[in-house]
Amino acid sequence: MNDTLLSDSGRVCKLMTLAARIESFRELVEEWLRGLYHGMISHPAYEKIEQQAEDDEDAFMLACFPDAFGIPSPISYYTAELLPYLEDEFEAWERRMWDRGSLLERKGHQYHF
Amino acid sequence: MRKFVFFGGKGGVGKTTMSSAYAVKCARDGVRTLLVSTDPAHSTSDVFDQSFTDEPAAVAGESNLAAMEIDPETEVREHLMETKRAMGDQVSPAMVNEIDRQIEMAHQTPGAYESALFDRFIDVMRSADDYDRVVFDTSPTGGTLRLLSLPEYLDGWIQRLLHKRKESVKLFERAAIGNNEPRRMVDGDPIIARLEQRRDDFSFAKTTLQDDAAFFLVVNPDELSLRETERAIDQLDSYGLDVRGLAVNRLTPEPDPDESGRGATFLRERVKTERERLDDLRENFSPPLVAAVETRVAEVKGDFLGEVAAELDVDTAPDTQ
Repeated sequence: MNDTLLSDSGRVCKLMTLAARIESFRELVEEWLRGLYHGMISHPAYEKIEQQAEDDEDAFMLACFPDAFGIPSPISYYTAELLPYLEDEFEAWERRMWDRGSLLERKGHQYHF
Repeated sequence: MRKFVFFGGKGGVGKTTMSSAYAVKCARDGVRTLLVSTDPAHSTSDVFDQSFTDEPAAVAGESNLAAMEIDPETEVREHLMETKRAMGDQVSPAMVNEIDRQIEMAHQTPGAYESALFDRFIDVMRSADDYDRVVFDTSPTGGTLRLLSLPEYLDGWIQRLLHKRKESVKLFERAAIGNNEPRRMVDGDPIIARLEQRRDDFSFAKTTLQDDAAFFLVVNPDELSLRETERAIDQLDSYGLDVRGLAVNRLTPEPDPDESGRGATFLRERVKTERERLDDLRENFSPPLVAAVETRVAEVKGDFLGEVAAELDVDTAPDTQ
C-alpha cells in the first residue's frame, strides 16, 4: 500500500497509515450505518408501502370479483374481461385472503416480532 | 325529433308494432332510418315478413328503411369466448382453471344479459352515421329500465375501480427501492387502459341517452299498464331521460249506435272504462298522448303498419344542429 511508496519518510508513512486506518474505519462505520438505516428505516418503510399497496390491491380485487365470495356484482360481466391480465394479482389475492388470519396479524407483520 | 328514439313498455303492449310503425313513418318521410329490435322473440321479422340478423339489412319494399335484430345471448357467448381467448394468450396453464371458473361465473350472472345488450346499444349508437334516425324496440323484460340506468350506475363503479387500481399501482411504484423494477406500473397497465375504455363507453352512452335520445312509452288502457307506465316515467325522469310521449295501443273499437246485442253492450262498457283511463292519462301523466290506436283484427303487418303509422302523432324530421 502507501507504505512502500513513501518509505523514505517514516513519519509521513506513519501518518498515511493512520489516515488509511481512519479511512477504512470510516468506511466500516458508513457501511454499518447504511445497513442499519436500510434495515431499521428505509426497508420497513418500503415494506409498509408495499403492504399498503397489496392491501389496496386486495380491495380492488374484492370490488372487481365479489362473486368469488358469493356477493353478486353488477359489473362482473365487465370485470371478467380484466381477469386474463390479473393472473399474478389473482393468485396473490387468493393466497393473501386465505393466509390472513386477522387484520391485526397482517398489520403486525411490520414489527417483525 | 332527436336521432335515437326508444319505444318501451310492459311485455305485449305493442312496442314492436309502434316502433315498426314509427320507423316506417320516418322512412316514408325520407328520413334514413334503422330499426333495432332487442326482443329475443324477434317479432320484427314477423311484422315485415322478412328475417333479420345482427347486421342492418334493407327492408324489402321500403326505400329508406333498414332493420337489425340484436341477440344478447350470442353477444354474451362471444364476450365469453373473447375473454377466454385473451386468457389463453396471457395466463400460465397453472392458473387457467382457477380463472376460467371465475370467468364462466361472471357470464352466468343475471346482469350479463343486460350488459351485453347495453354494449350492443353503444355499438349501434356509435356506428349510426349512415342513418338519421335509429328506432329501438326494447325488449319486454323489466331490464329495459335498468339498462338505461346502467351508464350512471356503472360509471360510478368503474370510476371507483379505476381509482383503487391507480392508488395501488402508485404505491407499488413508490415501494420499488433504488433501481428495482416496480411490481406494477401505471404506464401500460392493461387494467387501467381497459377500465378507462369502459368509462369512456359509459359516459358516451350517458350523454347520448340524455341529449340525443327521446323515449316513448307504449300503454294499454288497463289499470296495470297505467301503473307500470307511471313508475316507468318516474324512473326515466330520475335518470335524466326525455320521455316525449305515451302511445296508447289496443283500444276497443266502439260499436255502431244501432247495435244492441250482447257483444255490442260489452264493447260499449269497455269503451266507457277505457275512455276513463284515457282521461286519466291525459290529465295525470305529464308526457302527452301521441297516439290512440285501436285493436286490429289481426297482427299488425303490411298494410296495417301504414295505418298505424298515420295515427302516430310524432314528428319525423331530424333535429337540425
